[in-house]
Amino acid sequence: MTKHDKNLKGITRREMLVGSAVAGTGLVVGYSGLPGAVGGAREALAAGSWDHQVFLTMDNAGIATVHITKAEIGQHVGTALAQAVAEELEVDWNDVRIDYPDTEEKWGFMITGGSWSVNWTFDRNSRIGASARIALIEAAAKMMGVPAAQCSASNSVVTDSVSGSSRTYSQILSTTTIDRTFSEDEMKALTLKKFGEYKVVGKNIPALDIPDKLIGEARYGIDVFVPNMVYGRLVTNPTRFGAVPLSADDSAAKSIDGYAGVAVIKEDPTGVNTGYVVALGETYWAAEKAAAAMKVTWDSGPNANTSSADIVQAAKDSIADESQGFTWVLEGDPEGAMSKADTTVEAEYETSLGYHGLMEPINCVAMESNGIWHLFTGSQFQGRFTAMTAAALGVDGKNVVLHQQYCGTGFGRRLEPDGAIISALAAQQIGRPVKLIYTREHDLRFDFHQTHTVQRVKAGVNSAGKIDAMSHVVAAGWATKRMAPGFLAESVDKKGKIDQFSTNGSDHWYDIPNHYVRSVENTTAMAATPPGQLRAVAPTWTWWANESFIDEVAHKIGKDPLDMRLSMLSATGKNAGTPPNTVGGANRLRNALIVAAGKSGYGVKPMPENTAMGIASVASQERGSPSWTAVVAEVHVDPSSGEPTLKKITVAMDVGTAVNPDGVLAQIQGSALFGSSRVLHENVTMTNGAIDQGNFDTWTPMRIHQAPEIDVTIIQNGHYPAGCGEPVVTCVGPAIANAVFNASGARVRSWPITAEKIKAAQRGA
Amino acid sequence: MNEISVQIKINNNNYERNIKPNTLLIDFLRDDLGLTGTHSGCDTSQCGACMVLHNNSAIKSCSILVAQLNNQEITTIEGLQDKDKLHPMQNSFRNNHGLQCGFCTPGMIISAISLFNENNDPTEDEIRKYLEGNMCRCTGYQNIVKSIEEGAKDMREKG
Repeated sequence: MTKHDKNLKGITRREMLVGSAVAGTGLVVGYSGLPGAVGGAREALAAGSWDHQVFLTMDNAGIATVHITKAEIGQHVGTALAQAVAEELEVDWNDVRIDYPDTEEKWGFMITGGSWSVNWTFDRNSRIGASARIALIEAAAKMMGVPAAQCSASNSVVTDSVSGSSRTYSQILSTTTIDRTFSEDEMKALTLKKFGEYKVVGKNIPALDIPDKLIGEARYGIDVFVPNMVYGRLVTNPTRFGAVPLSADDSAAKSIDGYAGVAVIKEDPTGVNTGYVVALGETYWAAEKAAAAMKVTWDSGPNANTSSADIVQAAKDSIADESQGFTWVLEGDPEGAMSKADTTVEAEYETSLGYHGLMEPINCVAMESNGIWHLFTGSQFQGRFTAMTAAALGVDGKNVVLHQQYCGTGFGRRLEPDGAIISALAAQQIGRPVKLIYTREHDLRFDFHQTHTVQRVKAGVNSAGKIDAMSHVVAAGWATKRMAPGFLAESVDKKGKIDQFSTNGSDHWYDIPNHYVRSVENTTAMAATPPGQLRAVAPTWTWWANESFIDEVAHKIGKDPLDMRLSMLSATGKNAGTPPNTVGGANRLRNALIVAAGKSGYGVKPMPENTAMGIASVASQERGSPSWTAVVAEVHVDPSSGEPTLKKITVAMDVGTAVNPDGVLAQIQGSALFGSSRVLHENVTMTNGAIDQGNFDTWTPMRIHQAPEIDVTIIQNGHYPAGCGEPVVTCVGPAIANAVFNASGARVRSWPITAEKIKAAQRGA
Repeated sequence: MNEISVQIKINNNNYERNIKPNTLLIDFLRDDLGLTGTHSGCDTSQCGACMVLHNNSAIKSCSILVAQLNNQEITTIEGLQDKDKLHPMQNSFRNNHGLQCGFCTPGMIISAISLFNENNDPTEDEIRKYLEGNMCRCTGYQNIVKSIEEGAKDMREKG
């Protein structure tokens, strides 16, 4: 099972340096390289030998800039991360800024995803703020000639409690030299404020990024222009993956006004794809026309005969073959218990290929200047972009710099560096800067889609009406194996590596004494539809199966689905939970269910005809970092057409501590609709190796007039902050399916849930 | 391709330029004038990120040529403010957290102002129906509706 307790034990192994090189030049806070390797903060800064991670910089006017190594993709997490620093720094919030640095080693590992940003960083940032505050208090005490112990800081002012005299942060930082080293033990021992003592954390502070976005000043990747650049436009590969251009005839393109050449790339050592033809133009129009006029001969590659049905069949075959895949969960004696069961229930669930649907399509400006390659784009995985682009270009990774831009949504798509690599390869070939912009069609057809999944779930219920045994097989394309194999996890039986991010969620918090989960890689899906991480990742499909299935079992044995869930959440044994992330265990999920049920009027509120509620609960994203979430969906199903209409979503989510409650609310509302759109409105299919859909006319996500009413309750109890950008995505799907069943009697086990499928299920098809 | 001369007033500034007759308004705004607040999301007039105001109505700048707007006036997201003072609709989006990634926001705000110009007291249903052509993939629709309701109220009160 997953163990993701990253950074929760505070700063490890390294010292924290707080210092300034020269008196009156402000303050830098960050890790030292190796403990004792440098004389101290001042010496390292003065010598320029400080090349490690920097978290916070203050200037001599007292302005505190928190460096955000996360991508701004709409979650406004930079503000929450700055709130954690500011709380302990005791800085006037008006003096707080954030920035998004370019790639450099000193910024450390830069990744945005997994609902990790706050969960992994809150404790660390709190300690950074606290260490800087202590250094400032000590410096002020020295200036005033009093013991530091009788001084305290508030609102950017250090005050001596005996004399009442004070120094502002600006006065301190513009006069003195600060040189303070905090050992690892000292960092761990810092006393941090607790829930209830916060002044900045927990406040609805408007996101610092909002003003620029309101007036058109925010710069996204697509807004970057550099001198002498040409526009690049892909000529459409005949298949999603595996095609190679044999030749490109540009004789017709040459007559196009502004045509600037063609880059034919027959090999990409990074394997992002197998070949590209990029038409280039002085204007976007010229590039577009040139792409259309280009006559390319392709080798369509090994996936030219693969269609959606083949991917599904491969999954079903691998589920049926018990020798395939690896064990993810093994508790008790699942086989023995299953054979003794009073009643068994079995069902198969599918999720469809998913498209990220970025508002701002993939783009990048790539430019070489004095031996350094510059990439201008928004990235959720900066180090991966620079390393892979360097590999594609055949240059040293140190010579590639990514200039981070705002992202017009991300959803995990910007973990993938294809835009950067293709623009850089084209720029290298043509010898000019290239601005590559995917058309909507390319963005959709050459996405790293969420994999198609098939899952088989079986339960054995004993004579007391309890689920005694459960087995769950998950067949999926393994995105992590493709893109970050270092993150693969050891299987329980130690027989091989599992893509934990294609499987997690199936290790749920219900009391099931005999529990087995097998995870299988769908190699056909891997080959034809290179899978990516799409918002909420595996829990989107594992909880879809699990929570649909619990409902099916409840109905089969005549129990209320809510009662059934509550009866299985005892929070004992392995489900008791441990601090900090899972303290309270399954009791917190139980509580969320009760709140959502109560708020929605579950079982109480009179329902119009053909309208019903469905309930579901999840502990996403990972077993080690859950946000305890319950959803009640209210759905109407038209009895003649079968058309489902989502009327209302009620969410209860226990995040422990909401660092910025308004930001959490926005994330919950957005993820509730994002997940509903995925389940009700979105579909991607493949025919002969190519994606069938092309634009917003055939891929039709939820729009504003289709959005239901949403009621959100954020549960706070002072426990460690959990992530909030994804979990609700994983909960709305099964809640909707369960509501559809209650409203119409139709159990739909695949996405999207459509009128046709509802009618078919009603007919018993 | 021969160039043609056009005169166009954008955000109260007069521009007289020689352009290719096939120049789309969005490319003129973004590439020639550097007004990148107007965004392109689909090129096929389905997402609404590229909206600008023309005669107080929202139009999609990805689907109109500059030549069609000769001697006319448009307003982009950059032209809504009165010096440093936000337009009431921008202000309402700020106050109601009516934006997440911000990419659709200029189009949303332009569309909301266009709605107000047609109907200064829209119901929630009317707002949702009018904004059907504006896609938000953060699906922050709840706060967008709230922002428009309050922004319209503020605009009504300010006359």
